[in-house]
Amino acid sequence: MNNKLLEVKDVFKTFDRVVHALKGVSIEARENEIVGVVGENGAGKSTLMKILVGVYSPDKGEMYHKGRRVPFPRNPKDASRRGISIVYQENGVIPWLKVYQFLFLGYEDKYIKFMTLQMDRMKEQACEILEELHVACNVEAFMHELPLSTQKMIEIARAILGVRLESEDSETTPIIILDEPTSPLTDDERKELFKDLLKMKRNASFIFISHIIPEIMEFTDRVHVLRDGNLVAQYDLSREKMTEEDLFRAIVGRKSSEYISRSEDREALGEEVALSAKNLSKSGHFYDISFDLHKGTCIGFFGPAGSGKSQIIRTIAGLMSYDAGDLKAGDQELKADELPHVRLKRGIGYFSGETGKELFLNWSIAKNISIINMEKILGKVIPVIHFSAEKKMAENIVQKLEIKSPSVGTDCYSLSGGNKQKVSVGKWLERNPDILLLDDPTIGIDVGAREDIYEVLLEMKKNGISMILVSDEPKEYFILCDRIMFVMDGRVQKVLGPEEFRKVMST
Amino acid sequence: MMREKLNAKSGLSLELLRRNMNTVGPIIFVIAVVAIFQIINPFFLSYHGIITLVYAMSYFLIAACGLTFVIMTGSFDFSVPSMLKLSALICVLYIEKIGLLVIPMALIVCLGFGFINGVFLAKFKVPSFLATLGISIVLEGIAWYLSKGHLEIMQDETFRSLATTFIGGFPSIFYWGMGVWIICTFLALATAFGRRTYAVGGNLEGAGLSDINIIWHRIKVFMLCGFLSGLAGVLYMSQMGGGSVKIGADMAIPLFASVVAGGTALTGGMGGPHRTLMGVIIITWIQAGMAMLAIGNDVQMLTFGLIAIGMSIATVDRKRIKIVK
Amino acid sequence: MHPVIIVFLALLLIFGIIYPGRFFSAINFKAILRQFVTLTLFALGPTFVVVTGRLDLSYIGVWMLGGVLVWLFKPILGMLSIIMIPITGIATGLFIGVVQTKAKIPSFILTLSLLVTYTGLTALLAGGYPRAVDGYEFITTSLIPLIPTAFLLSIPIITAAVFLMKCTRICVYLNAIGSNEEGARLAGINVDKYKILAFLLSGVFTGIGAIILFQHLGGSAQVQLKLDSIVWPLVAIVLGGTPLTGGSGGPQRTLLGAITFTIFYRGLYLSSLHPTMVTLLVGIVLIVSIIVSARGLKGVTVT
Repeated sequence: MNNKLLEVKDVFKTFDRVVHALKGVSIEARENEIVGVVGENGAGKSTLMKILVGVYSPDKGEMYHKGRRVPFPRNPKDASRRGISIVYQENGVIPWLKVYQFLFLGYEDKYIKFMTLQMDRMKEQACEILEELHVACNVEAFMHELPLSTQKMIEIARAILGVRLESEDSETTPIIILDEPTSPLTDDERKELFKDLLKMKRNASFIFISHIIPEIMEFTDRVHVLRDGNLVAQYDLSREKMTEEDLFRAIVGRKSSEYISRSEDREALGEEVALSAKNLSKSGHFYDISFDLHKGTCIGFFGPAGSGKSQIIRTIAGLMSYDAGDLKAGDQELKADELPHVRLKRGIGYFSGETGKELFLNWSIAKNISIINMEKILGKVIPVIHFSAEKKMAENIVQKLEIKSPSVGTDCYSLSGGNKQKVSVGKWLERNPDILLLDDPTIGIDVGAREDIYEVLLEMKKNGISMILVSDEPKEYFILCDRIMFVMDGRVQKVLGPEEFRKVMST
Repeated sequence: MMREKLNAKSGLSLELLRRNMNTVGPIIFVIAVVAIFQIINPFFLSYHGIITLVYAMSYFLIAACGLTFVIMTGSFDFSVPSMLKLSALICVLYIEKIGLLVIPMALIVCLGFGFINGVFLAKFKVPSFLATLGISIVLEGIAWYLSKGHLEIMQDETFRSLATTFIGGFPSIFYWGMGVWIICTFLALATAFGRRTYAVGGNLEGAGLSDINIIWHRIKVFMLCGFLSGLAGVLYMSQMGGGSVKIGADMAIPLFASVVAGGTALTGGMGGPHRTLMGVIIITWIQAGMAMLAIGNDVQMLTFGLIAIGMSIATVDRKRIKIVK
Repeated sequence: MHPVIIVFLALLLIFGIIYPGRFFSAINFKAILRQFVTLTLFALGPTFVVVTGRLDLSYIGVWMLGGVLVWLFKPILGMLSIIMIPITGIATGLFIGVVQTKAKIPSFILTLSLLVTYTGLTALLAGGYPRAVDGYEFITTSLIPLIPTAFLLSIPIITAAVFLMKCTRICVYLNAIGSNEEGARLAGINVDKYKILAFLLSGVFTGIGAIILFQHLGGSAQVQLKLDSIVWPLVAIVLGGTPLTGGSGGPQRTLLGAITFTIFYRGLYLSSLHPTMVTLLVGIVLIVSIIVSARGLKGVTVT
């Protein structure tokens, strides 16, 4: 058992007095290990990491380094001095810098003499550290020329280097936080990255944030599970026997009592197939996805992040293209390269819970509802907007969905999160597409608004709209879906009905 | 407690003022400008003076309306003055050979260049100000080549009557200008096309998810701008009767200043042709007023440059952009 | 970039073959160097800005306004009044840098508006006419036959610019900002400071270069603004291989672009093509090089 290197206890952090991001979390990282920190979106992982590198300061909590009590870092440079450094999930790489320039980015003052950069020294040391960390590449190459996994490795090398250059205690083992390092990588690149990471264990400890369960199972020594700002479980994977499902349930499981029973009977599945997919594949993301979506039903794609579920729904929406397979809406073939507006013409609407993308926030409610319902408010003879018709349409929706706002002319900026979501749903309610794709429809909104939205969606289903759901909230699948496809590693592992699902997902 | 309330109140009214500044500001500005000039030169608002103002602003308004649509989508069109010049030139050079057919010809040519601008942006992803800068150079080259540097005079009576026939005390170009302005305002505020233009400028991604073919729509907007620039050129030639080679990059900044001064921000998604009227009045009336006071072109350039900078700063929606280049 | 070197050599070859006598003559050689100096001294400063992905069109304005200020201050400061030009450059660079960075105005429109403002201001101060300024002829007195003195004087400036870019961390930081500004910020670079610095460098180099240009271009304050003079330095920058989206390149590239463009222009000039056709061709060259260099924009929202 390795020595404790870094430990934080009982960390609390609240934003604006309302958002309790962390409610007493304790984690520890030991020498020469890879420890995982896992949890769904909003569990508190990134807040915790930002506290560790000094971007935020905690409201309460203690930090220990090698057993000694130390203060939390005040800023990233301070954290580097203590040996803690982070590799961000995205945007970390500068494509047009050469490798040796990128490695020392921000630390050039150690290599300046009379205003000149000592590039030879930099190149030499770059070669040294890359060799030490088993990264094979040419230090003169541009970052963008290298494969993504190598780029990531260089980012990690840079983090280690930064700690060494800044650190007061040259003996200290660096602690490198990796924030979802594998999200931009392909399967092969992931394998490469992990091979290299394992070799690096001798030189550093890693805190590995991820939702990708197979990776965590295979590469971490221990794992902490966060949920809703709490530490809910801790496992020592080198000792305990766990399956991926066990871990998954630990992350997203809910108490059985939390599943609200469905108030209506499941109707018999309609005969008409609204959307069908056969062996739909996109290399690097999902493979052989096949299903028939019957009219008036809802299929859910469920799985941890990285499973490919988001990519599946986005491909159906037209936001991504697919490489192989067939996708048909009724009789019409949906080509691989079509843009979303073409899909919409074929009757497929895409609804995302991210209102920043969906809505025009500086527009009124009425305008947001009418933008995809233009034909309904344009005159028959001269295509002019009939403002009274627009207003009526909006008022109708506002009433149905109980959207709280002074009038339909109010800007969406000023609405609460839940009401914004309702406006988004409202416009689709009005549009009445054949198929509606729900991509995290209730992200970040309060329970009351959620219930209202579920009601509307269920009614839309009753009226014949077929749906596909992707979300991080298991309860939603139970309420809305008739069939749930369990996706992992890009493939459908199981198909469950709602009751089975509830049983599997209950803790 | 009281202090918090007071601060909140004054904060609120400050916020209200700021929000409405965009609408109220230009109007106040116009009144101030007119008042100042009228005081300095009592003939400013005389019949003769007003006709001068009308002549200064009408063709300008048409071109500015075109530019407004482009800016509403968050892009920029630097080639408007050059399209205007080329259109005017086509009219004067070929009127003898093909008569009034020069008008549709000029309009179609400008429509074509607008299409090219749009394609560069939407398909080839060239930033709009660069693409239109390049196009404007090409247009200048073509214009020079066609005119060989000579000054041309438009002598065709019918053509000239387009802009200069007096109806109800005002030259016909006034009605053209106002007519185009009304149609553009209508287009922007009351049609699906206008709505979609605001959508593209306001949230490009959201627009893509909303039934709008963003590539094609942006091209259409540039084509509209080209068409209106061409129209402005035709009417300019009709009004002036010649000497079109002088219009140059000189016009680009006042044109841009008038759109921004009216309240249409560079960030896109807001403002509109109805706003541009105010901006055009401000700019062209200042221009005319200065000319009346024999203030040189130099000070005018200075003024418009400053207005352009000042209004850009004032209207940019800083909440939306993170990285500006 | 290597393709441009090929173009450069090809042009030399083509024009050398078509006009053997005139192209390789002494007169032409001198003219090429003269034009190269003008182009380079205008384009060197803005290159720093373009590397960060922004545009700085104010260089002509600095030269014009600076010139008129020299004329104005001559009676007071005597020969020393020439420093008005670099002062103008520094002040301009600082102003643009701060406004662009803090108020977030697109650099194109900001610097263009400023240029127009300067044009007006210049004409106003000069009373509408170009004003001759005596006393600085020594800057261009011929020292070495065939080589304009202005060219010799520009060598230290060019060297300084290239040194700054290639040997100090300016290269890394400006490239980083142009290539991935968010990433540069995450890496701990004070992005705002370096953006302002880029504009400041632009102003400084243009200001100092304009001292030479002032006499080189006639020794008088100019009041006319021509589209060509705005565009040609841009062409030199883009042609040289510094993409307008930024992230790579620098003054060393601009030198290559300037000499290539100069050869191109001189060759066309020697032909019987009408000057306006030449302008047209220049415009096409600009568009093509912009498109080619803009091809690398994937998934970026372009307005």
